[in-house]
Amino acid sequence: MGTFHPSFPHLHVASAYSLRYGSAFPDALVKRAADHGMDMLAVTDRDGLYGAIKHVQACHAAGITPIVGVDLAMEDEDTRIVVLARSDGWGQLCRLVTAAHHVGERGAPSVTAEMLADSGGLTVLLGPDSDVGRAMAARRDGQARTLLTAWRSRVPNVAVELVDRYGYRDATTATRLLALADSLGVPAVLTNAVRHLDPADYQIGNVLDAARKLVPLHGRHLEPSSHAYLKSGAEMARVAARICGGDQGRALRLLAETRRTAESCALNPVEIVPLLNQRHPILHLPEVGLDPVPFLRHRCQDGLHERGLNRSPQARARLAEELKIIEAKQLSGYFVAVAGITDMIRGNGIRCAIRGSGAGSLVNYLIRIGEVNPLEHGLLMERFLAEGRIGLPDIDVDVESARRLDCYRLILERYGTARVACVSMMETYRARSAIRDVGAAMGLPPHEIDAIAKAFPHVRARQIRAALDDLPELRGSGLGDRALETVFRLAERLDGLPRHIALHPCGVLIGNSGLGDRTPIERSFLDFPMSQFDKDDVEEAGLLKLDVLGVRMQSAMAYAVSEVRRVDGEELALEEVPRDDAATYDMICASRTLGCFQIESPGQRELVAKLEPRTMHDLIVDISLFRPGPVNSDMVTPFLESRHGFRASYYPHPDLREALRETHGVVVFHEQVLRIVDAMTGCGLSEAEKIRRTLSSPDGRRRVRAWWELRVRPEFDAATVEKVWQVLDAFGAFGFCKAHAAAFAVPTYQSAWLKRHHTAAFFAGVLTHEPGMYPNRVILDEARQCGVEILPLDVNHSDREWRVEKLTLNVRREDAGEPRPGDASASAVRAEEFGRGYGLRVPFSAIKGVSEAEVDRMLAGRPYTSMADFWARARPSRPVAERIVEVGGFDAVHRLRPGEPRWRPGRLTRRDLIAQVGAMERASRSGVSALAVQLPMGFAEQVAPGELPEMTEAEAVEAELAVLGMDVSRHVIGFHDELLDAIGVVRSRDLLRQRNGAEILVAGVKVATQTPAVRSGQRVIFTTLDDSTGPVDLTFFESVQGHTASTVFGSWLLVARGVVRRTGARAVSMRAVHCWNLTDLDRLWRSRGIEAVRDVLADRPGSDGGVGGKEIRYENGYRLSPYADIGPAPGVKEPPRVLWHASMGSSGPTP
Amino acid sequence: MSRLYGDPIEVWVRDGQPARFVWRDRLYVVRQILDHWVVAREWWKTSETDPGERRFWRVEAAAGRDVGTYELRFDTASEAWLLLRAWD
Repeated sequence: MGTFHPSFPHLHVASAYSLRYGSAFPDALVKRAADHGMDMLAVTDRDGLYGAIKHVQACHAAGITPIVGVDLAMEDEDTRIVVLARSDGWGQLCRLVTAAHHVGERGAPSVTAEMLADSGGLTVLLGPDSDVGRAMAARRDGQARTLLTAWRSRVPNVAVELVDRYGYRDATTATRLLALADSLGVPAVLTNAVRHLDPADYQIGNVLDAARKLVPLHGRHLEPSSHAYLKSGAEMARVAARICGGDQGRALRLLAETRRTAESCALNPVEIVPLLNQRHPILHLPEVGLDPVPFLRHRCQDGLHERGLNRSPQARARLAEELKIIEAKQLSGYFVAVAGITDMIRGNGIRCAIRGSGAGSLVNYLIRIGEVNPLEHGLLMERFLAEGRIGLPDIDVDVESARRLDCYRLILERYGTARVACVSMMETYRARSAIRDVGAAMGLPPHEIDAIAKAFPHVRARQIRAALDDLPELRGSGLGDRALETVFRLAERLDGLPRHIALHPCGVLIGNSGLGDRTPIERSFLDFPMSQFDKDDVEEAGLLKLDVLGVRMQSAMAYAVSEVRRVDGEELALEEVPRDDAATYDMICASRTLGCFQIESPGQRELVAKLEPRTMHDLIVDISLFRPGPVNSDMVTPFLESRHGFRASYYPHPDLREALRETHGVVVFHEQVLRIVDAMTGCGLSEAEKIRRTLSSPDGRRRVRAWWELRVRPEFDAATVEKVWQVLDAFGAFGFCKAHAAAFAVPTYQSAWLKRHHTAAFFAGVLTHEPGMYPNRVILDEARQCGVEILPLDVNHSDREWRVEKLTLNVRREDAGEPRPGDASASAVRAEEFGRGYGLRVPFSAIKGVSEAEVDRMLAGRPYTSMADFWARARPSRPVAERIVEVGGFDAVHRLRPGEPRWRPGRLTRRDLIAQVGAMERASRSGVSALAVQLPMGFAEQVAPGELPEMTEAEAVEAELAVLGMDVSRHVIGFHDELLDAIGVVRSRDLLRQRNGAEILVAGVKVATQTPAVRSGQRVIFTTLDDSTGPVDLTFFESVQGHTASTVFGSWLLVARGVVRRTGARAVSMRAVHCWNLTDLDRLWRSRGIEAVRDVLADRPGSDGGVGGKEIRYENGYRLSPYADIGPAPGVKEPPRVLWHASMGSSGPTP
Repeated sequence: MSRLYGDPIEVWVRDGQPARFVWRDRLYVVRQILDHWVVAREWWKTSETDPGERRFWRVEAAAGRDVGTYELRFDTASEAWLLLRAWD
């Protein structure tokens, strides 16, 4: 070849957004193209435009002309084509992709030649994978000619795509394709069908092929791809020469034709990504049917009256200011549309609350998008929408999680699928998913893959081998041996690659009828229209969205309200409940917050006890303080000291008193940063918001520092300027948006109020919707401690979900006894009185393995007169029927009672009933109707009552845990009381009486394990045990994790030795030094006696290897363990199958 | 028809392509490259990180006046050449 290599344009490039196919991200591809001196580059992802926005952005930044296309399958054929958007064809390409996804099954889009008939704005490339290419490779030249002729007559712009990736016969096939194109006068272009950035990436390509096709790695399933990388122009010229057989002139013509085609497909970046034009982006605005500007103004005026603010000059001024910004940004229609949607959601009886920075806008309050008055809490609009801010605002609302999809349906019905679509998100490979896919490709047995994947915490895939070395619980696991080395090495290389597309949990695009020209739309798993762009892409594409987030607590509260209505006939309006109820705050101050929104974690229970919130503002501060930022910049201690008057509030300068008074001089909120910056520089709040955002990066802080020193007003002396700077520097990106906290505080208060005043209904909601961090058995135990009676499953009383039952007087109540004197929490708050007089009924849906249809039949058939009746009419499966018997579902019907005596001749037992289930099933199978043999106690096979022994109480609890996942009749720890008393375990309710620094033993069921970000840069494990008298919070520092980590993660019942740390009048936590699996100790005790257990407990291992890994350091001294703040390995969360070792006689009588 | 051999041979390379080779004590001069392709090894079966690839050439070559077609293979991991087939 000569030296003539004009910049080669790659027209067929799969990025990493070609799911389980490509391996290079758009920015890396663009950078490489720029390094090769290329001036144009296409991205043609498979099945969609998933990488298009990122590609266009990267091209724009690198000064390269973007080309976008898609690689699509043909319907009913195993062939693929590439379709490029010509310069005016972006909208057509979007619509083609949308149409392709509406043909055929979800996840398998395809097109037909007919769909391309009117595609004047598109160019179709027919390459080796097209029907033409396939026919040619199979040496059916005549068929290839017929096919190409047909394509040319049906589709306006067709070109033959030649690819030679040095595979067997690649070159000869391409040569013959070129001859065919020439003879028919169809243009031919050269591509490299790129999948990777570098040649060595082909191994990832092989793994992705295997994962995509669900086959093991084997030559026959793989696409040869060692040459499928982004080759340079010189390399592509060599390929052209190979194909043209040394005919230089023809090779040059091929390259020139390729370039001409590329030029006809050059796109204008700003048309596709309007936000690249930061000054005047052309937004895609919602259609509201009338001129939105006056309409919004009117609604706001009406709102002033409705909210009683029409006489407030402050409100009027604020409104005028906000409207000015909204109108300048042309966003009036967006606010009108969102208000229409929130009205509609509430109108359908769905709870809906504003969240996030949107709560800072008065307009949102006036048009009833939200219920937070920003003026009341000193919230700022600028944090949400500022003049100088680039990007689009987005309003977030929380709705009941159980009805989130109903909300989507309502919005779709109102606006139509042409105008709205959900936002998508890319799930990417992390350690566990990467190990699963690579393991499967390498042919490991599925159960081994599962065990290996679950051993890892939620780390990134590229941290796999580092985690094996760093984490004590993995070091001893044997996973580090050489056999798995290849699996881990490959899994690491999948790090961060998109794996599949999913519905974003909340984003909904609201647009006009032209939406389909701006984004391709596919169907989600539940058939919702879903944009192929993620939340960042849609914003860049100038599309406006509303976030509708499902919040389980909202569902739980809605359920509680409906239970109060059903049981007590009382109509609760949670929004109107006074926000100053002393009893509610008393309960919060006493740390009885399990189950409440935002304040139930161990750390929050400790913080509320110290902070003692008494008002909504206190709750807002509490929520804001409980963040990694404030905790780590040590804002909590000075705040608490000032709040309780141990220390005078300190203000760096009198002018800052105004901004900082609400938090006693400590910076807690973003809004305060804005006010400080504005007060000291006079830059205005919009500019201050920009400054605050810049503070989040070290580089930004350096720039702000220079700006700061220049702009600070002369009246502030150097020392003050420096001091305030230190605060801003430390605050960095941390701190919390007060508007966000104010929005959160409302459901926090409402949930606490419900817990205090409608305890049983509250727990029914929490148990049904499971909003929190604790398993249901913990919530159930908390309900029990709050005086609610737990009623067992009963086929005649249980319902689909948890139900509240009002207890009648003749129901015998457990005598709770008077609170003991000196019990600190009981003296202030008698929790056991909260739910007195109400019970909670275990529902059918809690039975393991029960199907929706079975529950329907069980409900429809009530009441039942016997188990045979139930069997005949509810028609449960045999295992479900047996489980119902095991947990006492027929105890009431058949007057059974577990416990001693176990042998009851002549009287029916649960075991007799289980035997009868089997007999009935055999009878049904043999065609004897169960009804025919139903009475009286007559079964097809006779089972004499009392033939089998009754279950013991321990067996009953074991069955409850196995079937329902919770201990209903008694707390499981109760069966270990003897051992625990013998070794002197301290119970949760007695912890407050322990002196600070005492070393004691505690025990309980593990209910929560977290590894949050903490100040020291350690990975600290926080574990909560539940011992039936309350929670015990344990902290495991790295120094003890060497000998405790695998036990903590791997046990369900734990005994721990720890040092008492008193953190406040009513707050205690424990620093753990050692721990043991209680089940093991129990076994030891039964086999070798109490002395053997004492010997084990006396073990005091020294500090051994803790957690490794390079900590992440922040400029302000904040350090973070690489393993903090990630989901830990699932570990053991379920009770083991056998909790107690066979007690005497449980295997039945010996004959 | 071709015959299969698999004999180790010595090859002289010019511009990344085989130019001459010695097979069974005869020197062959490559006159034309007819085809060339590359096959990646089944790397997942081997323990090394990079098992390399196998490069195949189908060439027209002459030993003296005898002209034939030969298939040569170069293994990048072992850096060894084989004569796989001959049509002569």
